[in-house]
Amino acid sequence: MRIVHYLNQFFGGKGGEETADLAPHLQEGAVGPGKLLEQVMGEDAHIVRSLIVGDNYAAENLAATTEWVLDEVRTSGADLFVAGPCFEAGRYGVAAGALCAAVQAELGIPVVTGMALENPGVDLYRQELYIVDSGSSVSAMREVLTTMAGIAVKLSRHLEIGAPQAEGYLPRGILHDAFVEQTAAERLVAMVVAKTRGHAYESEFTSATLPDVPAPAPVADLSKARVAIVTDGGLVPKGNPDNISPYAATNWGAYDISDLDDLEGDHYEVSHRGYDTRYVEQDPDRLVPVDALRDLEKSGVLGKLHGEFISTSGLVNPLANSRRLGREIAEKLKAEGVTAVILTST
Amino acid sequence: MQLTLAYHAISDMQFNAATRLEGTTLYIDQAALHHYLLEDRRLAGVETDIVHPGEACRFGVVFDILEPRAKAGSGPDFPGILGPMEAAGQGLTHVLQGAAVTVLDAAAPLSGGKVVEMSGEAGEACPYSPLHHLVVMPQVAPGVERHAALNALRLVSVKASVFLARAAVGKAETATATEVLDLAGAAGAAREGLPRIAYIGQIHSRQRVAEVDEQILYGANTVGMVPVLLHPNEWMDGALVTSYMTRGVETFFYQNHPVLTELYRWHREGKITFVGAIATMAGSDNEDRPRNAMLATQQAKWALGADGVVLTKYGGGAPHADMALTAKMCEEEGMRTSVQVEDMSRDRRAESSMLFHYDEVDAIVHVGGQGTSWTVPAVERTVAPTPEVAAALRASQQLEAARICGVTSQQGAARVRSFVY
Repeated sequence: MRIVHYLNQFFGGKGGEETADLAPHLQEGAVGPGKLLEQVMGEDAHIVRSLIVGDNYAAENLAATTEWVLDEVRTSGADLFVAGPCFEAGRYGVAAGALCAAVQAELGIPVVTGMALENPGVDLYRQELYIVDSGSSVSAMREVLTTMAGIAVKLSRHLEIGAPQAEGYLPRGILHDAFVEQTAAERLVAMVVAKTRGHAYESEFTSATLPDVPAPAPVADLSKARVAIVTDGGLVPKGNPDNISPYAATNWGAYDISDLDDLEGDHYEVSHRGYDTRYVEQDPDRLVPVDALRDLEKSGVLGKLHGEFISTSGLVNPLANSRRLGREIAEKLKAEGVTAVILTST
Repeated sequence: MQLTLAYHAISDMQFNAATRLEGTTLYIDQAALHHYLLEDRRLAGVETDIVHPGEACRFGVVFDILEPRAKAGSGPDFPGILGPMEAAGQGLTHVLQGAAVTVLDAAAPLSGGKVVEMSGEAGEACPYSPLHHLVVMPQVAPGVERHAALNALRLVSVKASVFLARAAVGKAETATATEVLDLAGAAGAAREGLPRIAYIGQIHSRQRVAEVDEQILYGANTVGMVPVLLHPNEWMDGALVTSYMTRGVETFFYQNHPVLTELYRWHREGKITFVGAIATMAGSDNEDRPRNAMLATQQAKWALGADGVVLTKYGGGAPHADMALTAKMCEEEGMRTSVQVEDMSRDRRAESSMLFHYDEVDAIVHVGGQGTSWTVPAVERTVAPTPEVAAALRASQQLEAARICGVTSQQGAARVRSFVY
């Protein structure tokens, strides 16, 4: 097996923080931890190239570094790309993650890296990569490399990678079904009793820590604002012209209300399977309050009601998809001069 | 409240001239059963068939599955639906263990419709495959509106169940086991120091509006209902059947409720004190949700004196929010909780699966199934209410876990778990 190994200046033996600006440096064969990696990988594994880049250089020139690494990996005929392990070194981890992701996507060969959970590279790349849990102690190098080697071998042979705890990598947040001996009821009761008694228990799901969304600044002067209505309640004109799916919608629609003071049920329908839609069907203003906002517009409380409302269906939508829809809608409204948005949900 | 269950093991089921239980063989007088079911004028006809464990057979679309049970004496069987309005959960109930009454819905779309798979790998995952099924296929008379047709199917389900189990009433010699369900003594000195555990279970979700004649709790459609103390025995003895939104639920697993059964087991073993159960709903607006959550919490705290609560949801995704808010309120009142969630992530990403996030609600059982399906082979035999459905079911096809009854149970019976990799 031909391996290309990426290291920072420190693990590559080029010095400490004072050499963090080191430009890409190619060394044939294994360097530092790479020698240990060859040992634990076994006889047929050879590190053909070691790619050493200073932490600051990589952070400040990521695109160029990526290009160089892709080129070196490609021309080396490598079967495997290994980066790190990086332990808690943040710049090293972020670069290793980015390079692994690029090699995996561009060259389609297996990649593996290792980091401590606290390394910022983990949050950025855990969904895409197998990142071995290295812990923070460099003295565990052999152990970490052994775990990385185990995953690398499995990836190379297209073998199934088991659970994170069993294989030693940080959970990627990918769901995997398996049949277990105990029913859900048995697990529920055992768990509540343990929790009630103050004993240890292991939840089967840990809520993802989603980044905080800071509240935007308030609208300074509503009487000068251009206000748009955006809803995920699935209100669409009769016939659903944009074919918005009633669940896991992948698109949104913008519908003209510039000449309307009031929405009438006869002209609309609801494409959403997650709530009791009768009341919205009777009077769509209950979801998209054109009538009330038109009154506020006429009385000068509100500057201008935007000429279109935006609608999609917010049911069982993957987050990645929701984020994309949100970005698209925001871009459109911003381009059209909208300064305030009322979001209505169901 | 004391309920005695007399279990009669069933190892064979056959049509015969007279309905009777001989040893472990249940004989069914098909003509008498049809005659009884067709007393309902909303039905134009009915067909029945028997399916045995191990048969390469597939049947659907399933309306509901019941375990044949009948009360000794005058009942009440399924009070509010079949029997008069009396409390369920007391006295003696005969159970045909190993048998099922499975009612098929001729008008339900096959696409997405639930089936029972009796053989193969998918059959092994289906908790209904080890049972002898009396499959009932009512034909609704022309002109009967859908809500009335569904009501007729419900009536068929309970009538057929009781009809079969009446064969066991008074037959002490065929009873293979008895079980007494009783929470009495929950306050006894011997139980001092044991955790007091309650169950709060949703029995309906207002995402789907209940029909005016939809019978869920003692025959009521639950409209306007707030959380109610419902003794575990009532829950399991006919007070409750599923609503028509049967995602992951069948009446069979109310009768054999996995959570209540497990709590009773721990109670009997002296490891907890099982203090009772509360039936609640998932709301449809912002007032419903905190109101129901608050009332269920108050009942668990002050009426049941619970230290810990198990919670489950009904229906789809939104009911998770009701369940989680209830659990959060319980935690704030000093009760510890565990909750059962259903993996609904469509991109297999954990971030898309969690429908709530409260720090206190951190004991989560994660029912999977979204990522599980089987390519089932063509089968020799199908049972279905129409030739079209029968033919469609016969072919080899891809079946998602949620389409096979019981696999992704929301009542606690599921063994498929969603792991985060």
